[in-house]
This record gives sequence, C-alpha cells and structure tokens, in this order.
Amino acid sequence: MFNRNLAKISSYRYPIIAAILLILAGGLVLLPKYEKQKGLNPKELLNKAISPERYMSTDKLADIIINQDPSYILVDVRDEESYSKYTLPNAVNIPLNKLLSEDYIAYLNQDQFDVVLFSNDNFYADQAWILCNRLKYKNLHVLKGGINEWYKTIINPSVPEEDMTAQDFELYNTRKAASMYFGVVYPEQVKTEAKPVPKTSAPKQIIPVKKKKKMPVEGGC
Amino acid sequence: MKELEKTKRLSIAAVISILVVLIGLLSYKRPKMVYEVNTANTLEKITDATTNYLVSLNDLNSDYVLVDVRNQYGYERGHLENAINVDASELLEDNNLEIFESIKNDGKTALLYGKTPHEAIPPYMLLLQLGFDNVKILTVENSYQKNKLITNNVTVENSVADINAFIQESIKKANAEPKVEPKKVVAPKQIIPVKKKKKMPVEGGC
Repeated sequence: MFNRNLAKISSYRYPIIAAILLILAGGLVLLPKYEKQKGLNPKELLNKAISPERYMSTDKLADIIINQDPSYILVDVRDEESYSKYTLPNAVNIPLNKLLSEDYIAYLNQDQFDVVLFSNDNFYADQAWILCNRLKYKNLHVLKGGINEWYKTIINPSVPEEDMTAQDFELYNTRKAASMYFGVVYPEQVKTEAKPVPKTSAPKQIIPVKKKKKMPVEGGC
Repeated sequence: MKELEKTKRLSIAAVISILVVLIGLLSYKRPKMVYEVNTANTLEKITDATTNYLVSLNDLNSDYVLVDVRNQYGYERGHLENAINVDASELLEDNNLEIFESIKNDGKTALLYGKTPHEAIPPYMLLLQLGFDNVKILTVENSYQKNKLITNNVTVENSVADINAFIQESIKKANAEPKVEPKKVVAPKQIIPVKKKKKMPVEGGC
C-alpha cells in the first residue's frame, strides 16, 4: 500500500519539482526592487557630502584660470539666462535640471579632468555634486561661495585695513592683480601712465619742511 | 532495483537544490538603507519649480518640525524654539531615521536648518533619496552674539552683483579718475605745516 502510494507520487515527481522551481523563480521577480540600490551607499555618500573636501577656494580657481591649467573644466550649473549674463572664463553651462541628461554626461563622468561646479553661491552646485557622487562620478569639486564669493574676493577684493597683517596685504595685491586679469581696471593703472610728474613734485615739497625743522633746533641750543 | 536507486538520487538532489534556494531566499537580508528615489527623480524633485522646498523664517507654522542638523555643541549653545537635534553626521543612525519616520507618520514636515542653508543640503538630499518627501530646508543663517543665537533669513542662490556691470563701471571710473587724484596730493601738505608750528614754540623756549 505504502509502496504503491510512493510509486504514485514518484511518478509525478518531475512535474512537482518543476512547479516548485517555477514558484521560486517567480519569487525572483521581487528582487529587482533593490536594483535602485546601485551607486554609492547612503552612509558613504553622507560622509562624503558632509566633509568640506570638495570645496575649492576662489583664490585657487583664479590661479588655475590665469595659469590656463588644461586639466580643469568649469561647469556652471545655473540656468541659461544667468550663464549668458556672466560666467567664468571658458565655463560650460549645464543647468541643474539637465544635469543627468545624455548630452552632458561626457563632461561629468570621466576621470581625465577635474571638474569645478559652481553657481551663484554653492547651493545648486552642492546638490549637483551630491547627485553626481551617488553615481560615483569622479574628480568633482565645488567652488566655495560660488559666483558671489568670486565677486567679493577676486573681482572686487576689499582693501585691507591698516592694522591687518602683511599677509592680508599680499593677498589683496594678488587678488587685485587677478581682478585686473579678469578685466577690472583700477584708477592707478591709468594714473601711472598719465601722471608721473605730480608724484615726483609732491615729495619735493615735503623735504624742505624737514630742513626747516632742523634749523631752529640748532639755533635754540 | 538499480533504476529505483537512480531516481532516488535524482530526487534527493532536487530536494537539496530546492532547499538551498529556499535558505538563500530566507536569509536574503534586505539592505538596511535603500534609496527609494533614483537620481533622475531626485533631480526632478529639486529642480521642479512647483515644489518649493525652501522655507523662510516667516512661513513657520505648526505643520513643521524644526530639525537642527548642527552638532550637539552648537545645538546646546542655542537653537530655535522646539527644534530637535539630529547631527548631520549621525543622520543615518537608526534612532534618527525613526525620528523622521515618526514625523512622516504624523503628517508633518521636517524643516532642516544649520549654520547656513548649505549645511542642510547633505541631510536634505540624503533623506529625499531615501524616500522622505516631507523634508524641507529653512533658509536661515545662525550666528551667536554674546552667546545668544541670532537667526537671519537669507536667500539662496541670490546673485549679489552684476559682475559685467561692475567691470564696465571700473573701466569708466578709471578713465574719469585722474582729475580727482591731484587733490589727494594737496591734502598731506596741509597737515605738515601744523606740525611745524607746534615744534617751533617749544624750541624757542630753550
């Protein structure tokens, strides 16, 4: 009896096994849900996003542009209107909403160049940076403070106060020279060409004053 | 007899293989943190003009739960009223994610703020991609004055200056300036005579 039953079941064994395997295969359909997980895992992404490593200072960028370093690509993530108004020299415009479109992937997803992202401040650029880093794009940087900081430090550097350190003055002079490179003209520039005469005449007038001071001292003793 | 042995082995192998698959499925651990939103959708969300995820200080209401993403030290030194502290670097700890989960379940919106709006970007972007769509950023800048927290509204991505106009202006100014310059040379002259007068009477006294 038992044997006969077993024989009956065993005669169906192949269809049964096939059915079980099919059901299990069906279970695999549930798995692709996790495919979205690809990319940098959240913890790593957060750690990278919090660290200020990605920021590049405006001074360094100015240096790069002036030296015409060929290994850098500047990417303006603002909209086209702002881009046409003013942008950094030789910058490529990739509006934030088109960041991941096929046309621009070649700029961002490569490892030959260093890419510097910038916007008006670094809000949009940071967002772009985080998204690109989730996709594991390499060599991306963000211009700290963006165009606004660029204006404040390079284009229109503030004159250091008298009591500030020599380093501040040196920094100011470098920035001023950089701003001249980017097209800003200072009054002195014109003056040095046009008016060398009044400068020499001014110290002359001061020297006689000193002489007069010394004269009475000798007489008093 | 031999025939039966063969089929037995076959079915045993089949059962074992099924068991292996079953064990595999059961022990398959769902990754702890899963991006629920892919990058393309995230990008759409942050650039969509209709969903404004930036909130200014004036728009605060009871639907928002303030979340301070600075570190504990900064939070204890001073924070906005009713704000809870979730350090950005510990954002993905289980208990912190539970906080956001409960905010979501309450139907409220988490409002992130830091020292600057930029500090809130990493946590915001992470939460958004993890599927929390009830997160916004409070656009404020916090500073301390005499150990008191000062909170100011700021606008992000606001262009402070028209650089092209500034450069044009500087060129114009530079060309007009030279006339003004000689006056500056005159000024020191007027100071020096004053010194002379002071010293003269002193020396005369000797």
